[in-house]
Amino acid sequence: MTETQNGLPGSPGAGPILSVRNARYVYPRGDVVALEEISVDVPVGQSLGIVGQNGSGKTTLTKLMNGLLRPTSGSVIVDDLDTARHPVQVLAAHVGYVFQNPNHQLFAPTVADELAFGPRNIGVPEAEIAERVAEATEFFRLGDILTLHPYRISFPLRKLVGIASIFTMRPKVFILDEPTTGQDHRTTNTINRLIHELVDRGSTVICVAHDMPLLADVSERLIVMWNARLIADGTPREVFADRAVMERTHLAPPQITQFSMQLPGREGRAPALSLDELVAEYRTPGRLAGKEA
Amino acid sequence: MQGMNVSVTHVRGTSWLHRMSPIAKLSWLLAIMAFAFASYNPWPLFAIALAGIGMAATAGILKPILRILLVFAPVTASMIVIQAIAPAICQNTCTPATTLGPLTLYQEGISHGLSLSARVLSMEIIAIVALVTTNPSDLFSAFARLRVPYILNFMVSMTLQLIPVLTREVQIVLSAQRSRGMKSTGFGSVIPSFVPVFAGAFERVQQLSISLESRAFGSTGKKTSYRQIEFGTLDRIIAVAGLVVGLVGTVVGLVFWSAGQTPVIILPVWLTVTVFLIAAVMFVGVVIAALVAIARS
Repeated sequence: MTETQNGLPGSPGAGPILSVRNARYVYPRGDVVALEEISVDVPVGQSLGIVGQNGSGKTTLTKLMNGLLRPTSGSVIVDDLDTARHPVQVLAAHVGYVFQNPNHQLFAPTVADELAFGPRNIGVPEAEIAERVAEATEFFRLGDILTLHPYRISFPLRKLVGIASIFTMRPKVFILDEPTTGQDHRTTNTINRLIHELVDRGSTVICVAHDMPLLADVSERLIVMWNARLIADGTPREVFADRAVMERTHLAPPQITQFSMQLPGREGRAPALSLDELVAEYRTPGRLAGKEA
Repeated sequence: MQGMNVSVTHVRGTSWLHRMSPIAKLSWLLAIMAFAFASYNPWPLFAIALAGIGMAATAGILKPILRILLVFAPVTASMIVIQAIAPAICQNTCTPATTLGPLTLYQEGISHGLSLSARVLSMEIIAIVALVTTNPSDLFSAFARLRVPYILNFMVSMTLQLIPVLTREVQIVLSAQRSRGMKSTGFGSVIPSFVPVFAGAFERVQQLSISLESRAFGSTGKKTSYRQIEFGTLDRIIAVAGLVVGLVGTVVGLVFWSAGQTPVIILPVWLTVTVFLIAAVMFVGVVIAALVAIARS
């Protein structure tokens, strides 16, 4: 993998950084098959969204990706490392996992210590840790709260600190579990911007979410999980347009997407993914979203 | 990769023990606790412990019970180790059984250690078997039926129900820290895991108390329960039998097997050394493992 000047992994399109091959996962008691024969390749620099109902296997799949769980059969290769052969602590330098609830991650006396915890664990020299913390502080705009205890800041800020604490580890792959759940509009926008910036820097971002407008905006590709299986894989526009998949999985595309699919005169065209896109389509005849898809 | 689950939580099942009324189980638990406190003779207590393990096997819960016992084993073993080398009951008049390097093992100490560990083990096993085979809600209903004050009953029941929640929380927090490259396990992971787990627990308790108050917790009047426990004739017979056995056992314990009347168990030297070494390995092994984990963290 090549690295960009800022130290983050780079060069989109260089091949899969993450490869899941016929992965099956059965929980230790043996009574729940959480994943059934899943295969998916994620290229470097791709932004991948994972959707599905609760219990469909989304989180289990992402936990296989960073080695927290090991496939019962099949394999998961991340950055040329077989997750079955390497401990989570080694894989952590390659795959960063941001948990849904930041309270599960944060413990240090200050936000700055929190940001330094991960890099210190993976053996980054102290001088470089300071540099990374400074970069994360600027990137996430955390300057005002750097000396505060993580539990003394608001929940949305804690969420950002949780993501920033993974950012300082500079993994090639970021896995974000429900990044916008419980967040206000402003923080949701911030997270949206961050995902775009991470992808622009060449990072691979995997986002598990129920927030369809977010995924419509940030994902290049969407996979749909249902009943432990991967049942759809395509661009958000393709997936949202597939009424059979949406009905089967009880998922709802973003409202603007649904609206665009029901607008008279748009029959046969690909759905719009955002309000701006739909407005642009109507303001500039000939630049219809359907023609782009 | 899943952590070993060693919490004392309900394991679902349909065995005879699962079906038995919680009141009957409580009656027997009370009986065995009374006998264990009254008797210094370790053999009947060890027999009760073995019977408990046998019951667990017939109820299909042997594996979880053994896992839980493994966690408590160092505590039980420590009683034998400490009493063997520094017996509290005879002090300067103790009889040396043998020496092991710089350590002198005393007959009275080993005997007393066996008594103490047997008392703990018998109560521990029966209590765990009863808890693991009883749904916390049924336990709540049983206490209510026994006219235990509602608030006290609720506290006990809520504590039992929070154990699996907190166990799961600990596993999630450990996963989160390992995902950030934390290499430590055991004691080395205490601080990064301790803070989120306890902060979450305090927050949960605070929210729970608000939620309870908003739903009229503490109001007067007879409380009803969604789950109803059955207490049929057989359960009544078993419960009464438990109380009778407990009463008789306590009297026998106090009259024949009290501290002054139970003879010192004199084991052959080889058995004394074997018992001591097994207990020492169980006790010291855990301490050394903890120290190594701290050193590595």
